[in-house]
Amino acid sequence: MSTYDLNFARWVYENVDGGDKMALCMQCGTCSGSCPLGAQMDYGPRKLFMMVRAGLKDKVLESNTLWNCVSCYNCVVRCPRQVPVKYVLHSLGTAAVRAGIPAATKSDNARFARAFWWSASKLGRTDERIVTALFYFSYGLSKGFKMAMANLPVALGLVKTKRMHIGAPYMCKNKGELKTILAKAAEIEARHAK
Amino acid sequence: MTKTMNYYPGCSSQGSGIHLDTSLKAVMGKFGISFREIEDWNCCGASVGHICQGHLPVAALSARNLAAAAAAGPEDVVSPCAACYLNTHHTNEEIRNNPEMKAEINEALGAVGKSYDGSLKVRHVCEVLVKDVGVEALKSKVTKPLTGLKVAGWVGCQTVRPFANTEAGGQWETYDEPSFLDDFINASGATAVPFKAKTKCCGGSVAVMSPDKTLELIKDILDEVKASGAQVVATPCPLCLTNMEMYQPEINKRYGTDFNFPVVFYSQLLALAFGMDAHKDAGLHQGLIPADVVVAAAK
Amino acid sequence: MSERKTGVYLCSGCGIGEAVNMAALEAVAKSEFKLEPKCHALLCGDEGVGLIRADVEGGVNQVVVGACSSRVMADRFAFNTAMTIRADLREKVIWSHPAGDEDTQMLAEDHIRMALSHAPKVKQAEPWVEGNYSQRICVLGAGVTGLSAAKEAAALGHDVLLVERSSELGGHARLGSKRLPHKPPYDAPAENDLADLIKAVEGNSKITVKTNTTVTKTAGMPGKFAVTLSCGAVEDVGAIIIATGYRPYDPSKLGHLGYGASPDVVTNTQFEEMLKAGKPSRKSNGAAVKSVAFIQCAGSRDPNHLNYCSSVCCATSLKQALEVIHADPTANCYVVYSEMRTPGVAEELYRTAQKAGVIFIKGAVKAVDGDLTVHVADELIGENVPLKGLDMVVLATGMVPNSTNPDAAAQEYGQEQLNADIDPEAPIKVAGYCGEAPATVEKRVQAQPPGGSLLNLQYRQGPHLPVLHDGFADSHYICFPYETRRTGIYTCGPVRRPMDWAEAVEDSQGAVMKAIQAVRSASAGAALHPRVGDLSFPKVNLNQCTKCRRCTVECPFGAIDEDEKEYPQFNATRCRRCGTCMGACPVRTISFDNYSVEMLTTQIKAVKIPDEFSGKPRILIIACENDAIPALDMAAIKRHGWSAHVRILSVRCLGSVSLLCISDALSVGYDGVMLMGCKPGDDYQCHFVKGSAMAAERLSKIGETLKSMMLEPERVAQVEVSIADGERIAGVINTFVDQITAIGFNPFKGF
Repeated sequence: MSTYDLNFARWVYENVDGGDKMALCMQCGTCSGSCPLGAQMDYGPRKLFMMVRAGLKDKVLESNTLWNCVSCYNCVVRCPRQVPVKYVLHSLGTAAVRAGIPAATKSDNARFARAFWWSASKLGRTDERIVTALFYFSYGLSKGFKMAMANLPVALGLVKTKRMHIGAPYMCKNKGELKTILAKAAEIEARHAK
Repeated sequence: MTKTMNYYPGCSSQGSGIHLDTSLKAVMGKFGISFREIEDWNCCGASVGHICQGHLPVAALSARNLAAAAAAGPEDVVSPCAACYLNTHHTNEEIRNNPEMKAEINEALGAVGKSYDGSLKVRHVCEVLVKDVGVEALKSKVTKPLTGLKVAGWVGCQTVRPFANTEAGGQWETYDEPSFLDDFINASGATAVPFKAKTKCCGGSVAVMSPDKTLELIKDILDEVKASGAQVVATPCPLCLTNMEMYQPEINKRYGTDFNFPVVFYSQLLALAFGMDAHKDAGLHQGLIPADVVVAAAK
Repeated sequence: MSERKTGVYLCSGCGIGEAVNMAALEAVAKSEFKLEPKCHALLCGDEGVGLIRADVEGGVNQVVVGACSSRVMADRFAFNTAMTIRADLREKVIWSHPAGDEDTQMLAEDHIRMALSHAPKVKQAEPWVEGNYSQRICVLGAGVTGLSAAKEAAALGHDVLLVERSSELGGHARLGSKRLPHKPPYDAPAENDLADLIKAVEGNSKITVKTNTTVTKTAGMPGKFAVTLSCGAVEDVGAIIIATGYRPYDPSKLGHLGYGASPDVVTNTQFEEMLKAGKPSRKSNGAAVKSVAFIQCAGSRDPNHLNYCSSVCCATSLKQALEVIHADPTANCYVVYSEMRTPGVAEELYRTAQKAGVIFIKGAVKAVDGDLTVHVADELIGENVPLKGLDMVVLATGMVPNSTNPDAAAQEYGQEQLNADIDPEAPIKVAGYCGEAPATVEKRVQAQPPGGSLLNLQYRQGPHLPVLHDGFADSHYICFPYETRRTGIYTCGPVRRPMDWAEAVEDSQGAVMKAIQAVRSASAGAALHPRVGDLSFPKVNLNQCTKCRRCTVECPFGAIDEDEKEYPQFNATRCRRCGTCMGACPVRTISFDNYSVEMLTTQIKAVKIPDEFSGKPRILIIACENDAIPALDMAAIKRHGWSAHVRILSVRCLGSVSLLCISDALSVGYDGVMLMGCKPGDDYQCHFVKGSAMAAERLSKIGETLKSMMLEPERVAQVEVSIADGERIAGVINTFVDQITAIGFNPFKGF
């Protein structure tokens, strides 16, 4: 049985992006009702927020709610208390990954994010070929191969219509500068993460 | 009128959304607006970057672009992509309104001797078309109206959310009933049909990584396209376009439907109606589902 | 009164002249009443009024106006030296019935007959004024409410006697920490500024403060109260304001919420004192309080405890939580609630508390363990979740009105008073109800809080202020919020209903205004609400009195005592002129100068009853002037017409309707009688508390009488009408007319 963790809510209020505004949630449910993927979530944002308040830390961080947000911003623009729901969910997702919650680190989103970030930070650009390939093969060689084959027709179509180029990836010229900035930013970010 | 703007094309301009970049530049050229690409721009982080990194590294991505734009000139930064616009705008607002964020971002930029103070304005290309160019001006350049073409104007979500009708975002549109896209379509001489899924979400990047979760979202939108009687879908968002194009075969397989709607950018319609080359300028040969019906409409 | 000289004035304006035959109306006055009516096309205009005024100056002392409803143009048709009687030709005739119709004409003529027939019996009311009147106001209780009342009354020029049972002024506020926000932006606890209020009262020469004092006896009536204090002094006062406040609900009854399980489970009142003393610490071990749960509705909104919402506990918990967080920003505060009720601007405080990180948990508390674990059935999560590791549990305990003095020996709510003060909740057997009779309610015991009476009233109807089942003294909550059922005695503050400091201050101002109106009206012999300014008062002919005591028992306001010979003794300034005594008197020996059973029956009999061969039934509607008559006027304004076979008699209250009115009507050939009055019962709307309930009770006894007359009991009915029933009322009338038509004509017709 779960118990109220007296400090989790306060931690979220203070450390999660938009968490301070989450304190104003009045549990109206507009977010859950507006969410295109609400039906696939373990809990809608409304309930998740109440669970944060109640301090059900593990359930919150293990929930797939954090990974079903498609960033459509319906909730953000409709919340009568101006809670930036989307940012809160994504920031809780980051917290779950940092906490090493298996459901989080093994999620499609975390895999995709790692692939995406590799391309964005190392090349300075998102190369759709590299991102998808890294993503697919994060599931292992055989599954990755299946996924890649399933998407081959689309890739060929894009190549044919000159929307996917063949050859070396596009990238920033000054990758060193980007690397330095991002390293510094990560260092500052780490100061916050307790 | 000649005017230069700081232009942030975004990664899709070199990939699946390349024809947005081509057609848009052609359209803007008609109004004397030239885009000065941000020097050595980088990816914005889109909507997944922060998941493993946290907030600040993602903000630093946009900050580097903004700093480079400010160094080139004080002109507004425009972006054609919903995610690029949103991330860049969001970071810009944080720098303007949150002193702590401003300090931290500049601390990161400072590592390479750069800084940015939030002096620029970040805008979506569509806002520029609405406010700086104007729908009447768009109409005035039409030489080959796309008469008779029925188009479903699908704005998607992020282009108008969350900034479009905030003061910071320029208050140029509403969240749920945007009208600019229909105005663009009608300006081209085509007909914007009443369409109920105007701001429905396609699933965004989740559609790319976990299509099982989101196919139904796109199917619901396609159902509305069909119900509207449209022949083609027009959108301003590169990810919307690609998602809807590439998943139609899978949706047909899974739901027993027979969708085969071409999806184009509004700028392709305009370029064509302005009498420009359907391929070279409008990029209308670059759809995964051929958009011949559009090309045929220009007379 | 000098020789009666009656002038009759008929108005043909507003379409009356086009809809009815004015000459025929004039003929009624001339031939049947030997009066010469004057007609005018716009009687309420300057010229029309001038016409009447000239006659009044020439000696006319009774004016009968046949024009619009008595509810309009009352000021135009008011004359200093003449009384006015109104016959409605507009609302209840031409606006509610077809123009040029034979039945409409008969109705208009009957209205003239009703007015003119009883005019000779109506006397100009002469007020009761006798001896000396006190303008002084006694305020009972010197908490925030009483102190504010005293200050306000003194500021308006009245001497004040302020009586406080404890040794100090200030009541609960004296022991409280901060107060709820009362000034814009209403978003943070405010400073406790009681000291300023006490200073203002103590420094006011018009206010006499008596601490350590209670009232042991109260005799007399408004303007002439004699209040005996515990110190032995007897003080003359004109009106009394009860500001005795509240007591917290007895926490020993809250064991289910953990009270008694640990010294760290406290009431909100106890916690308030801890906050006032400084940073709160645990009672059990003196440790600092780092996490507190506030449990809302502790005793309130619970059928086993207090039925009602105590209204301020939610805001108080918010305030206390903010004070805890203010003292220690790392403290965790939880509010467990079923509904947060933050009326009005208290919502701002709610928002502040949310921003400050107070956590709100919606759900029922299942148990509180000795280690302070609170088990909550969390409704928003849908699970039972224990709240562990708390340092303190605060029960947001509700308010019990101090309708009695907790220090004084408990007095039974006298059986006499119980009988007398017909409980508005008592089951009322209603005969002849239209449709289904309302289900009878089990009679609840009057929930008088323990303790002795506050005033020990020397009234025939007992020492207490009558209360409703929740223990709050009342008299028509909606229309007369400060009134009690004892005229000249007003409640304000939490003794009236649960409220906070700022509301109590405002409330005290309302009660002061009423008390001042009471003392001023009393000395002029004028009535208070709802018949403000009425100078008539009940007169009894003791020669005919049978000492049956119905009047003393039934008076809703305890206005009638009994003298040593057991005759009724009327206390004029306690009376509100409803006429319930008049309706109750079996020998009809109670009357007013301008209102009597005889005047009513005269009007009833004045109507021309067509014979059974005409096919025109006649149905009498006896309608309450407070709600039913305005509702009829509203129906007429909206042109919702009703049967022209109906004749409407306006009465002060259904309580004033004697059964004689009904039996007279049936014996002269009316085919049916319908009483239209206000809602009786727990949530009564009767302006005189129980007039409609009394009428229903009397009607329940008429069934046997009707049977003995070989008449169907369905010929007599009582319906509930509210002032807002303009859309519905015509349908109610027509349904009744159809029912009567189906029964057939009254066999007494023509006798």
